[in-house]
Amino acid sequence: MARSSYDYPGYERAGARYWTKTTLLYAGLGLGALWMTLPFWWTFTTSLSANPTAGAVSFLPAEVTLQNFTTLWERDDIMLVRWFANSVVVAVAVTAFNVTFDSLAGYALAKVDFWGREKLFLVFMSTMMIPAMVTLIPVYIILVELGWTNTYQGLIVPLIANPFGIFLLRQHFRSLPSALGDAAKIDGCNEFQTFYKVYLPLAKPALATLAIFTFMGAWKNFQWPLIIASNQDMYTLPVALFAVRNQYFAEWGLMMAAALIIVAPVVIAFLAAQNYFIRGMSLSGMKG
Amino acid sequence: MAFEGGERGTTDERLTARLRTGVGERLGTSDEHDTLVGVLFCLPNLVAFSIFLLGPVLYAFYISFHEWNILANEGTWIGIQNYVAVLQPAPWANDWAPLTDPTANTFWYSLKTTVVYAIGTVPLQIYGGLAVALMLDKRVRGKKVYRAAFFMPMMLSGAASAVMWRWFLAADGIINSLLPSFLEHNWAGDPGTALMGVMLMAVWGGIGGNMIFFLAGLQNIPEELYEAARIDGATGWHRFRHVTWPNLGNTNFFVIVMAIISAFQVFGIALVFSQGGPYYATTTTVLLVYQRAFEEGAMGYGAAMAFLLFCLIFAFSYYQYKNRDQAEVGY
Repeated sequence: MARSSYDYPGYERAGARYWTKTTLLYAGLGLGALWMTLPFWWTFTTSLSANPTAGAVSFLPAEVTLQNFTTLWERDDIMLVRWFANSVVVAVAVTAFNVTFDSLAGYALAKVDFWGREKLFLVFMSTMMIPAMVTLIPVYIILVELGWTNTYQGLIVPLIANPFGIFLLRQHFRSLPSALGDAAKIDGCNEFQTFYKVYLPLAKPALATLAIFTFMGAWKNFQWPLIIASNQDMYTLPVALFAVRNQYFAEWGLMMAAALIIVAPVVIAFLAAQNYFIRGMSLSGMKG
Repeated sequence: MAFEGGERGTTDERLTARLRTGVGERLGTSDEHDTLVGVLFCLPNLVAFSIFLLGPVLYAFYISFHEWNILANEGTWIGIQNYVAVLQPAPWANDWAPLTDPTANTFWYSLKTTVVYAIGTVPLQIYGGLAVALMLDKRVRGKKVYRAAFFMPMMLSGAASAVMWRWFLAADGIINSLLPSFLEHNWAGDPGTALMGVMLMAVWGGIGGNMIFFLAGLQNIPEELYEAARIDGATGWHRFRHVTWPNLGNTNFFVIVMAIISAFQVFGIALVFSQGGPYYATTTTVLLVYQRAFEEGAMGYGAAMAFLLFCLIFAFSYYQYKNRDQAEVGY
C-alpha cells in the first residue's frame, strides 16, 4: 500500500512548511495533468468548429458544428467504416493469436521440464533486443514473395511474434503451484489437459493483461500497416489518417475529427477499465 | 545466483534452493515425452520467431550487400558498396545549419537528429515520470484522476498524436494563439524548431508509461526501510537519496534501456508530423530507412542503414546490461 507521512507520530500536519509542501504538490500535479489532458480538449473543440484557425478556437469553438464529422462520413474517398473495420479485424486477430500461442509457450517454459528449456527461453527473450526497423525490409520482401501485400494475413501474421507475451505468461505460470499439475496428472490428465483445464483458468488476470496490451499495440500500430498496405482498401485507421492528412492538409477541423475517431474507442475502454489497465502495466514491467 | 555449489543437503533444502534460484519447478527428471510436449507447445512461436524476427536479422544483413530490384524482388550482389555509400563523410559545413542539398549523404545527419532527439527526450520522459510517480505515491486527493490524466496520452497512436500536435504548433494553430504576438512562430515549418515540436510531443506521450513503472517500483520498497531512516533522523531528501533511489535500481535500468531503444526507433511521429522536413530537420535514421527503402525502392541501401543502427542499439543494450550486473545492490 501507499506509504504516507501522515501515519507517523510527530509529523506536522499544520504550519507553513506543511502548507507550502501541500500547495507545491497539488500545483505540480495540477499543471502536469492539465498539460496531459488539454491537447485532448483542443482536439475535441477543433473538431467541432467550422474553419478552425487560432482565432476561432482555443478553449471553446466560436461556432459549434458537426460538419467535420459528417464530411468524414460522406466523402467518397474517405472509407471510414472500412478502415475502422480493418483496424478491428487486425487488432482482434493479432490479440487472439498472441494470447493463444504465448500461453502455450509460456506454460511449457514454466511448467514442462524439457531439454533446452532455459536456452529456448533465453533465445525468445534476446529477440526483445531486435529493433523492429531491422526486420522491416526483410519481412516485407518475404511477404512480397508470398503475395501477401495488401492482405489481412500480411497485416496480421508478422505481428504474432512478440516475446513480451511469452515473458509475461511464463512469469505468471511459474507463480502457480506445481502440485496442481501433478495432481491433475495423477487423475489422468495429459499435458494439454493439465494446461487447458487446470492452469489456464488460473492465469486469467495475466491473459487479460496481455490481451489489453496486444490489442492496444495493434490498434496504435502505424509502421507495419503503412508498409504492407498500399491499397487504400486495406488501410488501418492510423495509416488512413496519414493518407488523409496528405490530401486534406491544413483542413484542421477534419483532421482533428479523424484523430478523435481513432482515439475514442481506446480512451473509452481505458476509462471503463482503468484499474485493470494500470495493474496490468505495472505487472508487465516488473519482476525481472 | 543465491545458491551455488552443487546439490547438497536434504531433499527439502534442495527443493527450496531450486525454487529460489528458479532452476526447475519440481524435482522430476525430464524424459523424451516431456521434450516432445515442450517443443510442441513452443512450436507456433518458434516458427513465427524464426520467420519474422531471427531469420530477418540475418536476411537484412544479406540484403545489405545487394542492389535490390523491387519488381523482380531479387538482388544483385554489390559487396560493401551500400555501406560505403552510407558511411561516406557527412556533407554539412556547419553542424546546426539545415541540410539543403537533397543529393547529400544524409545518414550521418539523420543519426545526429536521432541522437539529439534521444538526448532531448529520454531524460525528460524518465525523470518526469519519476517526479509524477513520487508525487502520486503520497496521499493525494483524487489520485485516480491524476493517474488517468497522465496515462491518457499513452492511448494515442503516434500518427494521431502527430496530427494533433501539428495543429497545435501550426502557424495558425492554438499554441500561437496563446502566446504573445512577439513569440508567435511557425514552429513546425521552421527547420530550427521542427524537431523541438516532435520532442515536445514525445515527452508528452512518454511520461505516463514511465510513471506507471516507477509507481510499481515504489510500491515494492519495504516500508521498514523508511521507518528506519526516519528513526535515524533522515530528512525528505536523504530518504530519497539513500532509500528510494538505490531501491529503484532495477526499475531505472529497465526504463532507461526501453526509452533509449524506442528513441532510436522513432519514426511514425516524425513522418506524420513533418514528413522528415523541413530540410531534413526531423529525418531520423529509421525514417530515412523508410524513405530510402520503401519510397525510393533502395532496399539494399536501407538495409545497410538499418543494420548499422541495429549494431549501435545492440552495443548500447549490451553495455548497459554489463554495467547493471556490477552496479546491482542485490535482489
